[in-house]
Amino acid sequence: MILLKNFTIRLLFISVLSSLCFVSISQDVAEGEQIFKNVCKACHNLPGGGMSTGPDLKDVLNSEKFVNQEDRTETFIKYVQNPLTLGVAAMPAQDLDDTQVLSVLEFINTYVPEEKEVSSNEEIVVVDEMSSVNILIIISIVFIILIIALISIKNTLKKIQNQKTETISESIINFCKVYWANSKAVLISAFILFIFVLKIVFDTMMGIGVVEGYQPDQPIQFSHKIHAGVNGIDCNYCHSSARNSKTASVPSADLCMNCHTQIKTGTITGETEINKIYDAVGFNPETGKYIEDYQQKPIEWVRVHSLPDLTYFNHSQHVNVAGLECQQCHGNVEEKTVGQVAFKDELNKVQKNQDEGIKFKHPTLTMGWCIDCHRTKEIDMESNEYYADMHEKLKSDPKYQDKKITPALIGGMECGKCHY
Amino acid sequence: MIKAKKYWKGLAELNNDPIVEKLAQNEFVEDIPVDDFLGDSDLGSGSTSRRDFLKFLGFSTAAATLAACEAPVNKVIPYVVKPDEIIPGVANYYASTIYDGHDFASVLVKTREGRPIKIEPNKTATNARVQASVLSMYDSARLKNPMKGKVDTDWETIDADIISKLEKISTDKGKNIALLTSTIISPSTEKLISGFSEKYGNVRHVQMDTISHHGMLEANKSTFGVRALPTYHFDKADVIVSFGADFLGNWGSTDYATDYANGRNPNKKMSKHYQIESTLTLTGSNADERIPIKPSEQAGLLYSLYNDLNGVGTADSRISKIVEALKSVNSSIVVCNSNDKDVQLLVNSINKKLGNYKITIDISNPSYLRKGNDDDVANLISDMNIGNIDALITYNVNPSYTLVNAHDFNTGLSKVGMKVSSSLYMDETATKMDYVCPDNHNLESWGDANPSNGIYTLMQPTINPLFNGRQFQDSLLSWTNNSKEYYNYIQSHYMNDDKHLEQPGISLISDEPDWNKKLHDGYFITENREEYNSDNEIFSAPYFPLLSSEDIEFEISEKISMGDGSQSNNPWLQELPDPLSRACWDNYLTISASNARDLGIKNWNVSNGALNGSMVNITVDGYELKNVPVMIQPGQAVGTVSLAVGYGRTHAGKCGGDVSEGVKPIGHNAYPLSNGGVAKIEVVEGTHEFAATQLHHTMMGRDIVKETTLAEYIKNPASGNHTDLYHTHDGKKKASEVSLWDEHDHETGHFWNLSIDLTACNGCAACVVSCHAENNVPVVGKEEVRKSRDMHWLRIDRYFSSDMTKEKSEKENISAITMYADMENPSDSPETVYQPVMCQHCNHAPCETVCPVAATSHGMEGQNHMAYNRCVGTRYCANNCPYKVRRFNWFQYSDNNQFDYNMNDDYGKMVLNPDVVVRSRGVMEKCSMCIQKIQEIKLTAKKDGKKVADKDAQTACSSVCATNAIVFGDANDESHKINELKEDSRKYDLLDHLNVAPSVFYQTKIRNKA
Repeated sequence: MILLKNFTIRLLFISVLSSLCFVSISQDVAEGEQIFKNVCKACHNLPGGGMSTGPDLKDVLNSEKFVNQEDRTETFIKYVQNPLTLGVAAMPAQDLDDTQVLSVLEFINTYVPEEKEVSSNEEIVVVDEMSSVNILIIISIVFIILIIALISIKNTLKKIQNQKTETISESIINFCKVYWANSKAVLISAFILFIFVLKIVFDTMMGIGVVEGYQPDQPIQFSHKIHAGVNGIDCNYCHSSARNSKTASVPSADLCMNCHTQIKTGTITGETEINKIYDAVGFNPETGKYIEDYQQKPIEWVRVHSLPDLTYFNHSQHVNVAGLECQQCHGNVEEKTVGQVAFKDELNKVQKNQDEGIKFKHPTLTMGWCIDCHRTKEIDMESNEYYADMHEKLKSDPKYQDKKITPALIGGMECGKCHY
Repeated sequence: MIKAKKYWKGLAELNNDPIVEKLAQNEFVEDIPVDDFLGDSDLGSGSTSRRDFLKFLGFSTAAATLAACEAPVNKVIPYVVKPDEIIPGVANYYASTIYDGHDFASVLVKTREGRPIKIEPNKTATNARVQASVLSMYDSARLKNPMKGKVDTDWETIDADIISKLEKISTDKGKNIALLTSTIISPSTEKLISGFSEKYGNVRHVQMDTISHHGMLEANKSTFGVRALPTYHFDKADVIVSFGADFLGNWGSTDYATDYANGRNPNKKMSKHYQIESTLTLTGSNADERIPIKPSEQAGLLYSLYNDLNGVGTADSRISKIVEALKSVNSSIVVCNSNDKDVQLLVNSINKKLGNYKITIDISNPSYLRKGNDDDVANLISDMNIGNIDALITYNVNPSYTLVNAHDFNTGLSKVGMKVSSSLYMDETATKMDYVCPDNHNLESWGDANPSNGIYTLMQPTINPLFNGRQFQDSLLSWTNNSKEYYNYIQSHYMNDDKHLEQPGISLISDEPDWNKKLHDGYFITENREEYNSDNEIFSAPYFPLLSSEDIEFEISEKISMGDGSQSNNPWLQELPDPLSRACWDNYLTISASNARDLGIKNWNVSNGALNGSMVNITVDGYELKNVPVMIQPGQAVGTVSLAVGYGRTHAGKCGGDVSEGVKPIGHNAYPLSNGGVAKIEVVEGTHEFAATQLHHTMMGRDIVKETTLAEYIKNPASGNHTDLYHTHDGKKKASEVSLWDEHDHETGHFWNLSIDLTACNGCAACVVSCHAENNVPVVGKEEVRKSRDMHWLRIDRYFSSDMTKEKSEKENISAITMYADMENPSDSPETVYQPVMCQHCNHAPCETVCPVAATSHGMEGQNHMAYNRCVGTRYCANNCPYKVRRFNWFQYSDNNQFDYNMNDDYGKMVLNPDVVVRSRGVMEKCSMCIQKIQEIKLTAKKDGKKVADKDAQTACSSVCATNAIVFGDANDESHKINELKEDSRKYDLLDHLNVAPSVFYQTKIRNKA
């Protein structure tokens, strides 16, 4: 018995230990994946994904550069931290410590390219609620039937009394004549009609997307499609302050140079557009060196998303805290060239918006558009300690029971939150 | 029968004159030059018909309308090379130091995209002037280029000229160079100056203070052998006796206000504070008991106090209770503002007798904030006048304006061979100089400071110099042919690594990482310090008789807003109302009501409420000021008058006065009268228009500020906190129990509350300027303030007590009409209370219910929101606000030449907070409880996945409050201090009978008196 007990304890111990190891390894890999996505992915495809700006990193230690080295891992770490150790500056030095590089290596080695699942032919059936137009049609049919019925009843009654009967059209014409003679009735109905028309006009005007689709010419024919689409660079790599600041910010020219010290010819425009960056920062593409004492010229981009001063908007609140994807508000930028204000219909097609039930009814960059989302997007309160108390209270309050916790519910629709 | 009468137009018609016929045919007597104005003869042949014209008109109108629909094209220009530490849209904070020769503070500077926009305190307290200094940096009136003989030049020319002249002087025997500077508290600058002296020889370094402390410094030198001010610990004293020293406002360190408040906590220990003074100061208004005296009586009273303490005779009856109080406690402080060495010796002796040294007064760790030497200055001026000075270099001083004998200085100056000024402005002195070297502002400079023994602060630039200026230290380096940069010089000085030094420095910083850490902190205390030996004191008590005279005596004073006048071109400070008189944009002679009556001086309100006053000519010591306005000031001692310094600038700028640009000086210069003395006052014709922001002085028997005494408070903590009850069918009830309002849900999420402790608040107004800076509050100018259109989101109401009370009228059977008439008049020596009032963020807000467009609405977190873009300007909300805290934009205050202040200036606009809208004409605005700051701290907490910490929850007013009177926090978070204050028995709501349920509440005022 004792033996068995001991054995069980050992077994338990071992299993706990091994699971711990597993956790720690998987953490390494997870961290490596995170770093890879944030840092390396700007120039390298996922292992096995083929050549991008930089080479495919699959089996990197057996590549030309490292295969002959004594301690390949050590050399790899040194190389990432300072490429000049191997005498070639093929990539910019990365500010990563040894363990971070190791975890990236771990990720590269363990990464198995996902087999893309063939999507089943399930069609997403959108069951629309009965639209207001349909309701109107039904009501009007009911009314017409009612009118016909009433007129026939009237005729039957008249027949019984042996009075002259009227056809349906005659009845209607007579009614109109009587109605037209009554100035009060005309006035009231005209007034109602006027209000009705006014509302339609107002709604239509409010529905005009003044800035929807705005895509001004830019000084550089930058293509999001090439960078974010084909090369798969993370949006946050260039628009890095979107995570930390109220503005997403246009990247500074030195950030472009991280890659464009190497890439001197563009896919579409050849050298013309890339040379504009060199012109701004003072780089000689032929010698591959920066020109000394160069008078740098900032690139004057045209602002695409321009909120008025009276509105305070903070990217980091939405990107960092709420975890929105850029595409949910900006559309599929990775399919476009220069920046453009997305159309609301385009946004409604974005998969994540559909998944989360966000449906924009108002044109992009209007207040109604913001509110459309604030009313529907559910807040993830579980994973953020900040919301803990609030969540506790909301859960216990019967008022909020079975309700989706949206920004609107916790003050996200108050004027003062955006206008100050 | 005549069918129609014929009326003639004149005899000519009757006579059938042919001219009449002709006139009748022609409508216009003179020929109309139709052809002329239709111009060329082609006009008639043109194809444009009237219809076409209308078509064109219609088309162009439509085109213009359509064109207006198109949004303007905005550029977005990123950095070419982005500095690593800058994230656009995120503020960076840098520790630095503000020291302008008068005010010192260790600060944190908030910068956005490389622009400093706000100053926060760092370890030391900041006052209103330090808060406003960030705007002074963006002053476009600052010197932009070095100047030689009033003409712009470059630094090379200036340096070459100055060096060659200095070298010539130094080689000639018997020639002298003088360096006239403000008090230098920077150890590295002192070293540079001594290096400069060594190089040229015959260099005399003279330091001067605008408000001299020479007497006190000399007294300490003779008593303790150290020429410095002691460090006072007002928190440790049980009894504080101040003879005129305004230590809460302008006298000594800004930290004294913090110490003072710490020593006056009614729950622990509350010091008793007596103030004996002539002019009502901020400190005097906070005293438990205040005794008005004439300046000439001060020395005699101190002497009688000294004698009584020594058991020789009894003190004057006015101060006998002070002697009793001093004798009964173990620790006390006696301070005095006198600039007479003998009086200060007497004060030292009194403190010695009371055993205060080493307990409340620390002379072994003295303060170095004042070093000016009047004797040196006097010698310099006399030497200048006899032609003994061949070169004069001034730095950070404006002697032509601040000296009592500025006239002598100016005559002497004309005899000096080479005159150089290093200054921020083309001021009164700089205009008389040969070479003017623009200095850099503190926020653009490197520097260090040693404000008191063992305490060091570092100054680092937070922006590149705006103009072609150079800080004085760099000038000294180039004039001593030293090619080093001042930054390296300071670093070497502290690390003593003699990399950049000729002489050894001080080893307070060990290495580069330590230097970086200390630069990051901005403030460090060293244990490795020399303590002054104060054992061999020699005390002496000179004799002073108690004088009495019938004359009216004059004394200068200093306003909390303008200080010594160096920042007089700062519109925030000009529009900051004086805490006591509540007037801004002015200085004026303050006089007691009875003296005013005797002299026939009046203050009166005109039909729109604005205050007008008589004007006088005043002569003190042979110097006459003409047409000085007079303000009747309760608390001003009978037989005394006072005028604040810092006004009457002739070369300050468009805001403070600049005669060269035709801008009249604001107020009168009081410096020439600094010596005080008997004043001859003569009332003259004419009326002065004041800009006062508060027109009533008393509370008229209402309990707007609820107060009690310490004795009562100890008996019953709720004493003085009386609440009116309503009669209902269920008996008497509080207003909150008979509410008709639906309650908001304030249980979920945050509930932001603000508590204001009226016992701790001393009215210093740092919060008002901080609020201006944080919230882009516009400056409107004197004319608009007179129309009660000032825009301060936060005002500090000041109330004086009146001799008439309801109890008194009942007792003495005085009629209600007389009672209310008398209640309007404050006492001659009143008790004063200050009450900061901002939007109270009512949870039953009267403003919200009357807004026709729902522009003001209530937030879940307890704030009352104001959406400017929704406001249509009906002003119903302001009418319905019981606290009168809403401010209406009567005009466009930005980009408007009619309001030519910082918002109409390309430089001045850089101080605007980019997170807050600049409001346009026709909208209402008010305190938002710094919602932009709340949103920011919430966002930071969310990003960190933490709850909002108590210390992070700050508004602009609470973060700068030196006395911790304003406390902000989340009432739904138990870890926040605000919860404690909300439950305190001193807590009350302003106008609680209205049941508007404010989110801002007050703590009763407690006085330490019987």
